[in-house]
Amino acid sequence: MIISRSLITGAIALSCFAMQAKSAPLSPKAKQWLKDEFHQSTLTKQQQEQELLWFQEAAKPYKGMTINVVSETIDTHTYESKKLAKAFYDITGIKIVHDLIGEGDVIEKLQTQFQTGRNIYDMYVNDSDLIGTHSRQNYVIPLSDFMKGEGKDVTLPTLDLKDFIGLSFTTGPDGKVYQLPDQQFANLYWFRYDWFNRKDLKKKFKAKYGYELGVPVNWSAYEDIADFFTNEVKEIDGKKVYGHMDYGKKDPSLGWRFTDAWLSMAGTGSKGIPNGLPVDEWGIRVDQCRPVGSTVARGGAVNAPASVYALTKYIDWLKQYAPPEALGMTFSEAGPVPSQGQVAQQIFWYTAFTRASLKKGLPVVNKDGSPKWRMAPSPHGPYWEKGMKLGYQDAGSWTMLKSTPSKRRKAAWLYAQFSVSKTVSLTKFLEGLTPIRESDLKSPVVTKLAPKLGGLVEFYRSPARTLWTPTGINVPDYPRLSQLWWQNISQAISGEKTPQAAMDGLGKQMDKILGRLERMGMKQCAPKLASKPKGADYWFKQPGSPKPKLANEKPKGKTVPYDKLVKSWQETAH
Amino acid sequence: MRIGRQLILGIYFLFIMLPIYWLVNMSFKTNEEIVSGLTLWPTSWTWEHYERIFTDPSWYMGYINSLQYVTINTLISLTLALPAAYAFSRYRFMGDKHLFFWLLTNRMAPPAVFLLPFFQLYSELKLFDTVWAVAIAHTLFNIPICVWILEGAISSIPKELDEMASLDGYSFPGFFTKVLIPQIRSGIGVAAFFCFMFSWVELLLARTLTSVNAKPIAAIMTRTKGAAGTDWGMLASAGTLTIIPGLIIIWFVRHHIAKGFALGRV
Repeated sequence: MIISRSLITGAIALSCFAMQAKSAPLSPKAKQWLKDEFHQSTLTKQQQEQELLWFQEAAKPYKGMTINVVSETIDTHTYESKKLAKAFYDITGIKIVHDLIGEGDVIEKLQTQFQTGRNIYDMYVNDSDLIGTHSRQNYVIPLSDFMKGEGKDVTLPTLDLKDFIGLSFTTGPDGKVYQLPDQQFANLYWFRYDWFNRKDLKKKFKAKYGYELGVPVNWSAYEDIADFFTNEVKEIDGKKVYGHMDYGKKDPSLGWRFTDAWLSMAGTGSKGIPNGLPVDEWGIRVDQCRPVGSTVARGGAVNAPASVYALTKYIDWLKQYAPPEALGMTFSEAGPVPSQGQVAQQIFWYTAFTRASLKKGLPVVNKDGSPKWRMAPSPHGPYWEKGMKLGYQDAGSWTMLKSTPSKRRKAAWLYAQFSVSKTVSLTKFLEGLTPIRESDLKSPVVTKLAPKLGGLVEFYRSPARTLWTPTGINVPDYPRLSQLWWQNISQAISGEKTPQAAMDGLGKQMDKILGRLERMGMKQCAPKLASKPKGADYWFKQPGSPKPKLANEKPKGKTVPYDKLVKSWQETAH
Repeated sequence: MRIGRQLILGIYFLFIMLPIYWLVNMSFKTNEEIVSGLTLWPTSWTWEHYERIFTDPSWYMGYINSLQYVTINTLISLTLALPAAYAFSRYRFMGDKHLFFWLLTNRMAPPAVFLLPFFQLYSELKLFDTVWAVAIAHTLFNIPICVWILEGAISSIPKELDEMASLDGYSFPGFFTKVLIPQIRSGIGVAAFFCFMFSWVELLLARTLTSVNAKPIAAIMTRTKGAAGTDWGMLASAGTLTIIPGLIIIWFVRHHIAKGFALGRV
């Protein structure tokens, strides 16, 4: 009886669906978009049509609404704002204002909405570095819950969450997905492939340092290569060259340089992917999921020898090997410098600059449009061990707030999914070079394009990729804690404080904020500072981070030929 | 002696014009040229940045929004400040001096302290993201300075004028609009100029009280700085265009400003 009833219900549902499908074919405008814009996709045309048809139908209750979303300004988002928002309107009738503002302003708006509970934007593209903040506060809707409950009818059946390469970055300590990745870029090692292959330079390098010139595996080799180009080679084709590039202006962007990955590259923190556990690359120790301190005295590592070493090397290299103007530059001023043709290598280079470094006519681009440079995994410092993160990945991700009215956030969710759907994601990748889906990376279109992108595709296809991760869940309040970094670090750059004193000061201030957060209370995993810290001696005797000072911080340099590196990736990928 | 003076003036002029020249110069260069080295004038001349600003509504609407709230603010500030300044100048009442001073203290508080209260208030009044929110918020800072300037201007006019106008048969509103305002137009010019200057360059409140529909140009300009570098050319072009309304205002009120400054209150 029950079976027959469910059979009848099923049959009715099926016939309704068939009727609906018959009564509402894909609109001609949507078909036009498929033909003109989204013709490159990992889906077949028929699958694309089905996906768009789903959007067309699911959006019906929200037709005529105007939805405001916001993101920072990079090529990917500009494409979304100009093209995808328009396509979405033509397909669904929901008008999208995809606002583009500076990243700092996005955070400011987000915080204003947190604090006042008043809706400013219906959804935000916010870096996943805030995952620790979002999962502890009560402002953000966990998408896992939303997709199962309130937003079930507006969740794309073909969203395929497992296909997202950055999903672990946006997952909270409770295992729930809080944000949906929309664009990703990494920070990698960048070098002049053409110079590194010059026989005269290779010979000269080997004679002086005793090993081959190649992609540095450790910081010792990076330092040697920096010294080689700045002090030995000095000039190439009549132009002054430098073996290093960085930035050092007292500016908030100086903080990213450190909190993104620098300490973990040196070897601060514990093993663990995406972030070290119990101690992460910010030097914050957690017990279960509760932060217990960042200074060594509390089991943290922000002022541990590895961190002090990281800061010291950063300052030394900046002053000794980089162009003199680098000291007064910010992140965005320093970014385009390597593509001006005077820099041989850069240890901390953001792939967001890929597109800008491939423009024809630049000194680092061949006449046929192929790059004279390559990107490769960054070298690691002496404290680094296998199993630790090695670099940073920025994952701008769709974030939904509780203070947004239900109907508005549902409509915004439709657009967010559209912007990452398989129908459009490959085209979006080709525009902005910020991959989010495994399926796109594996597509033949991307294979064909790979040689023109200087190693971007090879890196993203390699198993090494998983070691490049954003800030994780140990950081309970990103905006409050991150602003301490640049202020303390700049004191070490100017010489006001020694690197050790600067990191001690930073650790004290971080612990103070953790204490304040503990008193304030958080939804889950609030900090819990011990009333009596166990002291540095105790912690240095424990295995793992914080690690005691190494007797020799400059082991022998080690390099690897770039072509061999790429080949090893290709072998492991297949 | 005269040549020496001209030389000093010339150097001074060069000194103050150099940043503006550099801004305009950069606005006609491509980004590649800007970051690749020092060129005194554009070698690869381009209009692309201006073209983008004038064809993309998400850019040019910023100018329209800013001009709207600046105009509304100047009108509200002057309309409210004129009678207040007259009262402070002509009447003695209890606490007048304290009240006058209190008005000025509003300007002593940094705009940042009003951010969240204003945001809450204007959201409640459904004015958030409208030009009215910014215009009204700016009056908090502009009315005091207007009252201060206009009080000085009115006080410089003998009180006998009021009485003569009354004898001539002017009603009070008639006297105010036909006799008093023409007499103090220099002061009004200066006051309007200050309202414009404050409102046009103020970013903090204007940015917080708007999101998409009434966003000021200064907030839009922040988008030139992103994770993939700074769009220097766009920033310079947008910056050059923000100078123009100020130049126009100064051109119109330049004679009044000279006289207004001579009144001594500013």
